[in-house]
Amino acid sequence: MSRIFISCDEASILSTRDQYNDLSPKEKFRQKLHHGHCLGCRSFDKKSRLFSRTINGLSWVKLSKSQKNSIKQKLKDAMKK
Amino acid sequence: MPEVKLIPEKWVDRYGDYLFNFTISRVNDSIMAQDLVSETFLAGLKSAHRFKGQSTERTWLISILKRKIIDHYRKSNSKKGQAEVRMSYLDSGDQNGDWMEEQVRDLRNPNIEDEIEQKELGVALNECIAALPERYATIFVQKTIDKLDTETICKEHDITASNLWVIIHRARVQLMDCLNSKWYKKG
Repeated sequence: MSRIFISCDEASILSTRDQYNDLSPKEKFRQKLHHGHCLGCRSFDKKSRLFSRTINGLSWVKLSKSQKNSIKQKLKDAMKK
Repeated sequence: MPEVKLIPEKWVDRYGDYLFNFTISRVNDSIMAQDLVSETFLAGLKSAHRFKGQSTERTWLISILKRKIIDHYRKSNSKKGQAEVRMSYLDSGDQNGDWMEEQVRDLRNPNIEDEIEQKELGVALNECIAALPERYATIFVQKTIDKLDTETICKEHDITASNLWVIIHRARVQLMDCLNSKWYKKG
């Protein structure tokens, strides 16, 4: 019984993990059960979803391998001096 | 706080992508961003003897990068001023006076507005990530942006999966608060 009902701390971690699709069906059930009676955690979950949408909507760029190698080479040359 | 030592050999792998992202959201030019990141590392190497170890490597490199970006804008603004003087809209016959209309029309275009908003949001988020403790920022970026799997990150940082989720959770809460004060309240 104690594993079915979870605390708010546990629920908020589950909310975070849910944003990365990391929950098992059991954990999803526990989370839903908690949200059924906890307004605070439901509200946090909503904010967390909005935050994920915001981040996923942004375009993130990375240095390519060749760009990295070129910078590394410059740095190596400078370190030799 | 334990004293931090600089490890320039690992800068590109550790901070390259983050600094590049930080720069590109401000200068909007991939080649220029790469140059600025590279200049930042070189400047860091040159002034390594002045690093007192009171901040993290990342914070220190970001402060150098910020100065580089300001210098870049100073240079490009002074060039732009000269270019505007040379611009000859009024001499180009039937295109007479189009310059101002083009500017107004561009700004009304909703796509451009969206783009500007996304760019500003990116800048705000990068600043919020920069304000996180280094470990939180690295793990958050690896999981959320680089989409690395949990096991790989745990191995790299020698932490358990539950530690990882606590760190990501705390990072997200701090970022949500930070964005709330930097971005949503502003709008």
